[in-house]
Amino acid sequence: MCQLLITSLFLGMAMAQNPAPGRMAQGVVTLKGATIHIGDGNIIENGAISFLDGKLTYVGNANAAPGGTVHDVTGKHIYPGLISLNTTVGLKEVASVRATLDYYEVGDINPHIRALVAYNTDSEVIPTLRANGILLSQAVPEGGIVSGSSSTFYSDGWNWEDAVLKKDDGVWLSWPAYMSTAINAQDLSTLTKKNEQRQAVVELLKTTFAEAMAYAQIKNPSPVNIRMEAMKPILRGDANLYIRAEHAKDMIEAVRFAKEFNIKKIVIAGGDQSYKIVDFLKENDVSVIVNPTHRLPNNADEPVYLPYELPGLLQQAGVRVAITYSGEWWRTRNLAFLAGTAAGFSKMTSEQALQLITKNAAEIAGVDQEVGTLEVGKHASILVSTGDLLDMRGNGIEKAYIRGAEVKLDDKQKRLYMKYQEKYQAK
Amino acid sequence: MLKPLTLFVLGLLLFRSSYGQQTFPRNGVYDERPGRYAFINANIMANPQTNIPNGTMLIEDGVIKAVGAKVPIPEGTVQIDLQGRYIYPSLIDLDSDYGMPAVQQPERGRGRQTPQLESNKKGAYGWNQAVQPEVNAGSIFIPNAAEAEGLRKLGFGAVLVHAHDGIVRGSGALVSLTDEAPTQALLKERASAHFSLNKGSSTQTYPGSIMGAVALLRQTYYDAKWYEGNPKKEGENLSLKAFNEIKKLPAFFESTDKYGIMRADKIGDEFDIQYIVKGSGDEYQRLEEIKKTNATLVLPLNFPNPYDLSDPWDAELVSLTDLKHWELAPKNAAMVAEAGIPFALTLSGIKNKSEFWKNIRLAIAYGLSKEKVLEALTIQPARLLNVEKELGSLAAGKMANFLITSSELFAENNIIYENWVQGKRYVQTASDRPDVRGVYDLLIENQPSGKLRIEGTVDQPTFTILMVDSSKISPKVSLANEIITLSFKPKKEQAQTLRLTGWRTSKGFKGEGVAADGQKLNWSAHLAETYVAQVKSDSTKATDLTVGPIYYPFAGYGNENIPQAQEVLIQNTTVWTNEKDGIMENTDVLVKNGKIAQVGKNLKAGSGVKIINGHNKHLTSGIIDEHSHIALFAVNEGGQSSSAEVRMSDVVNPDDVNIYRQLAGGVTASQLLHGSANAIGGQSAMIKLKWGGSVDDLLVPQVKSIKFALGENVKQSNWGDVQRYRFPQTRMGVEQVYFDHFIRAKEYAAQWKAFNNSGKKGANLAPRKDIELEALAEILSDERAITCHSYVQSEINMLMKVADSLNFRVNTFTHILEGYKLADKMASRKIGASTFADWWAYKMEVKEAIPYNAALMYHEGVNVAINSDDAEMARRLNQEAAKTVLYGGVPEEEAWKMVTLNPAKLLHVDDRMGSIKVGKDADLVLWNEHPLSVYARPEFTMIEGAFYFDRQMDEKKRADIAQEKARITQKMLSAKDQGKATQKPTNVQPKMWHCEDMVGMDAHHGDH
Repeated sequence: MCQLLITSLFLGMAMAQNPAPGRMAQGVVTLKGATIHIGDGNIIENGAISFLDGKLTYVGNANAAPGGTVHDVTGKHIYPGLISLNTTVGLKEVASVRATLDYYEVGDINPHIRALVAYNTDSEVIPTLRANGILLSQAVPEGGIVSGSSSTFYSDGWNWEDAVLKKDDGVWLSWPAYMSTAINAQDLSTLTKKNEQRQAVVELLKTTFAEAMAYAQIKNPSPVNIRMEAMKPILRGDANLYIRAEHAKDMIEAVRFAKEFNIKKIVIAGGDQSYKIVDFLKENDVSVIVNPTHRLPNNADEPVYLPYELPGLLQQAGVRVAITYSGEWWRTRNLAFLAGTAAGFSKMTSEQALQLITKNAAEIAGVDQEVGTLEVGKHASILVSTGDLLDMRGNGIEKAYIRGAEVKLDDKQKRLYMKYQEKYQAK
Repeated sequence: MLKPLTLFVLGLLLFRSSYGQQTFPRNGVYDERPGRYAFINANIMANPQTNIPNGTMLIEDGVIKAVGAKVPIPEGTVQIDLQGRYIYPSLIDLDSDYGMPAVQQPERGRGRQTPQLESNKKGAYGWNQAVQPEVNAGSIFIPNAAEAEGLRKLGFGAVLVHAHDGIVRGSGALVSLTDEAPTQALLKERASAHFSLNKGSSTQTYPGSIMGAVALLRQTYYDAKWYEGNPKKEGENLSLKAFNEIKKLPAFFESTDKYGIMRADKIGDEFDIQYIVKGSGDEYQRLEEIKKTNATLVLPLNFPNPYDLSDPWDAELVSLTDLKHWELAPKNAAMVAEAGIPFALTLSGIKNKSEFWKNIRLAIAYGLSKEKVLEALTIQPARLLNVEKELGSLAAGKMANFLITSSELFAENNIIYENWVQGKRYVQTASDRPDVRGVYDLLIENQPSGKLRIEGTVDQPTFTILMVDSSKISPKVSLANEIITLSFKPKKEQAQTLRLTGWRTSKGFKGEGVAADGQKLNWSAHLAETYVAQVKSDSTKATDLTVGPIYYPFAGYGNENIPQAQEVLIQNTTVWTNEKDGIMENTDVLVKNGKIAQVGKNLKAGSGVKIINGHNKHLTSGIIDEHSHIALFAVNEGGQSSSAEVRMSDVVNPDDVNIYRQLAGGVTASQLLHGSANAIGGQSAMIKLKWGGSVDDLLVPQVKSIKFALGENVKQSNWGDVQRYRFPQTRMGVEQVYFDHFIRAKEYAAQWKAFNNSGKKGANLAPRKDIELEALAEILSDERAITCHSYVQSEINMLMKVADSLNFRVNTFTHILEGYKLADKMASRKIGASTFADWWAYKMEVKEAIPYNAALMYHEGVNVAINSDDAEMARRLNQEAAKTVLYGGVPEEEAWKMVTLNPAKLLHVDDRMGSIKVGKDADLVLWNEHPLSVYARPEFTMIEGAFYFDRQMDEKKRADIAQEKARITQKMLSAKDQGKATQKPTNVQPKMWHCEDMVGMDAHHGDH
């Protein structure tokens, strides 16, 4: 107990405070003179953007811009806030310290587990993401076969209740892999081969979903089963069923499985081999959140740049695709560079690549009425960048607004930077 | 064919007593016999070059007396007329565990065990459980009748056995496969010495890696030499004593892959030992380098089954390497022979021993000459063991170990009838069986007549009865010597069985039968048609013997021809010189003889110079990754808190596809570091990414550096509670590790200096050579540079103070995520930094890591590099460098240097790498965009004037992989159709190393 006290005290001291959330601007605010990247592939040169009470009221040419508080951002670039799907931000703090990890619950079938309530707005990681343009993050539970439900949060807020944009947007399912990988304890090499044990998991899922369907038909169930209750939104078609699958056969089988149960909103997360089944994905209206594309090819013979090319291959084929850092929460600040790399190594333009982390991501998470593109009526979730956001050479977030509130771009790392600049300047 | 004499001999042999056991008491009367036999009318293959058709071999008392066309046969000799059958020397296997105890493989819990720092072997033995020179195969040899029988059946007469356990495995024994007493079987007690880099049943933590095993073996050689001088301090060390005895014997080294051969040979070179190396069957992939070792090989005949590729998606799992290896494995021995590399063949490595002859025939079909095969299984093994006067061929005075076969040894239908071991006959296939094959008219009293057809082999004839009503019956038959028994149901629909017994006559068979109702009847079978052997298609002939090209390395994206330096002129491009000329626009660069020959405007190209238009593109020097773990078979030797003795150069893997992937990201050189498991890690290896080259081609030997480490890994804080044992467990302890080791290294250096100055000569007087302290002494004399893995400021400060006080230098702090807190202290000591652009949050010691680190250090005058420590990040280090502009405003030109010139300086190779300057190595990358842009990608990557990557070449390689896979897939599919056993598609990938990874550690302890 004493040990525990000391440990938590120490942690408490080590964590600096995050800046206070921004306050909603009073009256109309107009940003004028910038190149506006709408997020749907279009650009407005010399544009202006205005918002009032947290919503966009004008997006267009600078000359016709309304007044209000005007910020001249001539030469800058305005983007929609970036959306980071399938992440553990807010649920993980320091990977090697178990006490800071809240993303992996025990149990196999956990639809009732909710990321919502564990999302820690005081995470020191969040300000570093927001300073790089990540204004929305989808926090996702991992673990088990059915992991639980995710929620999508703004990167600013006093607590999870304030920060959340969309609660419980979908349930996450890890499809039993067609190919399984075992690690050799001697040399830590991996051996991948057909998974002979998966059928049992498939059967478990069939039973679970069939029983959930039957349960959903009961008007006043007694006793109430909270697992089965948590399945209702995906069966009703209100929430997404996110299926983690990499192999083409897994994706096909999992989607067919979901269709059997009349599930309407199906999203593949992972999708390393999705480029092989683009027609299937389109026919079934399945979106894909691809794995971090800053990764190595999956085997020695795969094309060297295939991970970089993958989002472009899907986009060009007409599959709705988003890009993510998945479990690597702190790396999410590089999300724009994943999109940039995808543009550099495929036939996509930068504007198309931008959609991977704005419009497409918003549509997948079901928040496209509010965010994802810069259109009148949507939330004023806006970035002002020095230059091309997707390129390290242009990226530089000068201003960011969430629901019309200007966000402080300060973070612990910047404070340390300043502190040590002080040290060396003092000499 | 049938000879009453052989029958008589067989009966005689059954009662023959053991001979030669003078000291053993007998149960019954003595039964000594001369054991004199003459084999006449034999086709004798006396040795691979000498065939005596229709010759005679005379043996007596287990020894060959004479072999020749005309040999006088003394009285009192049993004569055996072989009637044209063949005699071969019986085979010798050099890599057998016959009669050896089984080796227990301990459970290695991947770090879930508490380290065992000392040997579990009790007694006056050496310190390491994997070094067991005292093991004497002769003294633990227990013959095993069933195993011996199995080996004799395949044609072996003698085998070299050793305990396949540990790094130093002790001495091997040459034993015969007799079933006489062990004293008879043991031909040579100390015939050989055996080594490997596999610690086998040892439960001791050290060594935990291949490079650790190399170091341990090297140190053992040095210790044994020192022990010859009877150092009082050591006492009586039975292991070292035994080592000195076995080190004079023919030395066998077991390797697990082709690179193991070169690795073993390098150890041998250091101690003037030419190892005989047991190979693994992939030697064809690196013949040129293997030949240079001058090693004789012991080759297995382990050919993989084809993969079942019926499902095209599942099939994609199988790598081109595995597909091609399936195709080429049977050709391995032929290619080794063609390269002029001497070798013996072994049975070991074949899972199903019954495939031995099939595989031999396959190897012959793929071009291995029969003479070579015979040599590799007889005289070559004998020669390697210095017993060619006794074994391996048929000549007067040699041991009577030979085979009697039906035909040429390698023919598909050959039968080994007899295997004689030390003059004792072992019948493998009864040759007394008459050849009764043919078609007979079958006449049975009171029964419908028919035909009896006998086919198959002499040994295993098959019988069919064709009745007049054209029904076919398969009778149950037993046929031995002269007597035949048949039983069958003449009418299928009836359950009545007819039984016949009979004997051979000159025309066939006759005898008596009993019908179902008990009535006796006579029967006979007259030969109507003599047997004509049907030409059976040789299974090896049906095989498609074509093979695809060898790629260097043997992997997808490998080269058919290793890239060569060219004369190249890159014209009209933006050149990032990294020199005082800065970034030069519209400039040309001429490359000649692997060097940068000229930099300037409008350069003239001579004839034959390849011209590349660099307009709108950027030419830079190649990226140098200061911190990499690619192309390695192992990373950490974590068995002790210092492993200064290990060398990463011992574990370089030129086949790692990450070399190619990183070329595709503009990397041309990488420093391969030891991991961070211990305070003093191992000696680094710098390589150039010469994809396809040998280990030596890749290595840059001028770089002499060593990895140190601080922090959580060294104190094992994230590896679970089982790892609370090895010192140090705190940052306090880490300091003391350094003091302890460097103080000892100082003393060590002083001792040697005194000895060298004393004018005394002779190894016996010299101090003990300690390869660990020697590496540390090199740091003290500034010959070896330290790269130290480091995170938090306290420990960084500590190491700087330790270094100050002991007067050595820290060259580089790598990772150095809190370097920004101490940049002034580093700058004043001229210590460089090699860091990540923006990593943090994965463990406690990176909590204060900031992306402004590089910029802060740069502004304080520290030489800063950006590294990867990660096979993925390394292929876009240009992007990582660009982040130093974003975070902290490093000028772009300086940011670029952080992945080129600055690491070159840290590695002390800036005399030849890191900038575009006349005279430097032509390690160049042409980028389609500004190299710091996210959109930039290499058009080509050149090392020393040779193109190792270019976009068109990459396209072609992708097409080649697809084509080659398709070709072999078709072959495998037809192999499956032919009924060959297949294996399921699998994919094996080596570990992608990070410096945190421990061999024997759970790899899942944090994200990085």
